[in-house]
Amino acid sequence: MKENRKQVWGLIAPTLFLMIFIGVIPVIYVIYLSAFKYNVFAKIPFRYTGFNNFRKLVFDPDFLKSLRLGLTFVALCCGIELPLGLLIANLLTLNFKGKGIFRTIMTLPLAMAPISIGSIWVLITNPDFGPLPFLFRKIGIEYNMGINANQAFFTTVLVDIWHWTPFVVLTFMAGLTSLPNQPYEAALVDGANRWQTFRYVTIPLLKPVILTTLFIRVMDTFRVFDEVWMLTSGGPGTATRYVSIHLVRMVLQSMEYGYSSAMSLFLLYLTIIICFLLLTFISSSQEAT
Amino acid sequence: MKKLGVAILLVGMLVLASSWCFAAVNNPEWWQKAAEPYKGVVIKGISESTPPSKAMVEVAAPEFEKLTGIKVEFEVTSWDEMYNKSIQDLQSGAGIYDFIYVEQDIIYAYLAQKWLTNLNPFIANANITNPDFDVEDFTTFINYFKDAEGNIYAIPFEAFLKAYIYRTDLFNDPEIKAAFKAKYGYDLAVPTTWEQYTDIAKFFTEYGKEKGIELYGHVAQAKTHPCVAYEMCETIWPAWGVYNWGINMENMRASVDKGGTLNSDQAKKAFRWYVDMLQYAPPGVRTYTWDETGAVFGAGKIAQGIIYLENLGWIATDASKSAVVGKIAVALPPTAPGVMDAAKAGKGYIGYYDGGALGIPHSAKNKEAAWLFIQWCMRKEWQGEFAKMATRVVRKSTFEDPLVKDLDAQTGGYFTMLKDQGYLFAGAPALPMHRPLNEVYLKWISKAVAGEISPEDALDNLAKEVDQLMEDLGY
Repeated sequence: MKENRKQVWGLIAPTLFLMIFIGVIPVIYVIYLSAFKYNVFAKIPFRYTGFNNFRKLVFDPDFLKSLRLGLTFVALCCGIELPLGLLIANLLTLNFKGKGIFRTIMTLPLAMAPISIGSIWVLITNPDFGPLPFLFRKIGIEYNMGINANQAFFTTVLVDIWHWTPFVVLTFMAGLTSLPNQPYEAALVDGANRWQTFRYVTIPLLKPVILTTLFIRVMDTFRVFDEVWMLTSGGPGTATRYVSIHLVRMVLQSMEYGYSSAMSLFLLYLTIIICFLLLTFISSSQEAT
Repeated sequence: MKKLGVAILLVGMLVLASSWCFAAVNNPEWWQKAAEPYKGVVIKGISESTPPSKAMVEVAAPEFEKLTGIKVEFEVTSWDEMYNKSIQDLQSGAGIYDFIYVEQDIIYAYLAQKWLTNLNPFIANANITNPDFDVEDFTTFINYFKDAEGNIYAIPFEAFLKAYIYRTDLFNDPEIKAAFKAKYGYDLAVPTTWEQYTDIAKFFTEYGKEKGIELYGHVAQAKTHPCVAYEMCETIWPAWGVYNWGINMENMRASVDKGGTLNSDQAKKAFRWYVDMLQYAPPGVRTYTWDETGAVFGAGKIAQGIIYLENLGWIATDASKSAVVGKIAVALPPTAPGVMDAAKAGKGYIGYYDGGALGIPHSAKNKEAAWLFIQWCMRKEWQGEFAKMATRVVRKSTFEDPLVKDLDAQTGGYFTMLKDQGYLFAGAPALPMHRPLNEVYLKWISKAVAGEISPEDALDNLAKEVDQLMEDLGY
């Protein structure tokens, strides 16, 4: 028994060691920093301020705006990616010509680094020579992300959808192929049509997969950075300065390490709350099924 | 006999090739001897991806490696990334880099944090300092890299102006000249006032539209990026008579009511002008940084503009990249009334004398080897070729180099302007907190450029926030 316990500790020791060094210690350090006013370019770079950094957060209009923008971005992206992903995944359960090719092409964006995706879209949306502004001009719409804040915002949403919907499709396809046959056979016997089967059989059975995918996508979109950084750098003005972009600017450009730490902790707390709610929902839905 | 002849020929070719490889080295033996103790050492450096840095990476570093046996790992990356990596290394003292890019405007921050190595002891050490190094030969630009006691902390490798550039083919076209005169009542010429600049910008943008060609009368670096803040602080405001980023350098405050000029009427007027002028630039101007302004000028889409002239070399001479070879010239930027006189009297400046240097971090592990490489890049005999590749001059003697004289003619007199009128321009003011400051400027300037707020309100808010930031930082 003792030997067994030793073996277990021996096996999990590397993981524990990594977790402590790359997870626990940095978080403790961030908590520590959040209590200080810390800017390397200040005359007195390091000053204790207690909870002042957290109080400042509540009254910081730039932070609140970036948080609002970030949450809107999350809601829009997840609100489109999930239904769209579900639709495509369902279509891919059918047999049609070219299905294999479509599935391969569809998953290509997933194989690309987000920074490359951003670069590609910079070229696509370039107001001087990009194909997207050119096509819009053909139908009488002036598309210029440098001027139009809404266009910039919706372009970042579009890019995220383009990049990550394939991931949603893949997870839903995995979920759909693992569903049992009996409920479908029962629905058939009961005379349910395709929509009724989808609404009353597929969706409830797929609920845990849907919520898990939502859980992953909420966390991912909340911390979106590379694509938006490449595409707009948070502009024009502050139109796409999502909370993740705002945080990076505060750390790397303003060098407000103390305040940024407080901001990071708040965002971590927010993410935990959102995830907790989703997990509770997943658990209750699993119990129900 | 035949084999012997071939062997002699080969040896001769090798000798010729090796002498060609190091043609720009006056004293190769000295370099080899000085580098002997560091043979096999790997030195790491970082710089911004600019033409001068690329020239050092592509030409200077491989030759240095070949001659000395010191390996150079020289990373050139984007401006943001370069700063992030450098500052993290300097701050943590990790000693990743042995030499780093020290831009003129960041030196005050680095000196205040004691992040750089004093180079004076290195210069005084004859074992590792080339007898031909000659500190006195550097232009006055080296003074920006000295502390109050005159110690040198970095050696300049690039220095250039952000000045006015225009298309001579368009400005000298009889039809265009006549059309301009008919419209504005005076001759089309290099503008000396902002009103003239505006007329020309408007004229060429309308001309482009009328003719159905892609031609614009103005260009700017107006992306939501630090570059837009730099453009206002270092180019536009000085030429309108608002100096030092609008900050009163005595009390470090920006608001008019605290002695600054950031929200003064003149600053507001200049900023309003800047925002209004974007209508005469290409549609994508709000997505342009310093890179795109050079690129779009080189593509022949711009009639006039004020751009970083480190790009001038390829714009003026490289037909494989530029559509305007032989069609450009440079001049002093336009100024508001009184600004030029003030600059000539040494009481102001008309624009930005930009540049950078190579410095050795306090935590560097191979300081001597890095010092040798820095000297190698700045050795006198290579400066003409370096100027040809990257349009920069840091030594007085380089102006006399035949290559530079030849280049001067091709670039419309740029090097003559740099030499004779460079004193009218200035580097960034001594603001050790320049990086966080730039972020605040960027926030409000980009908001106004995007139309979220009026330029006047933006400057009132900006001045208030700058004062607050200064107070927070202890100034």
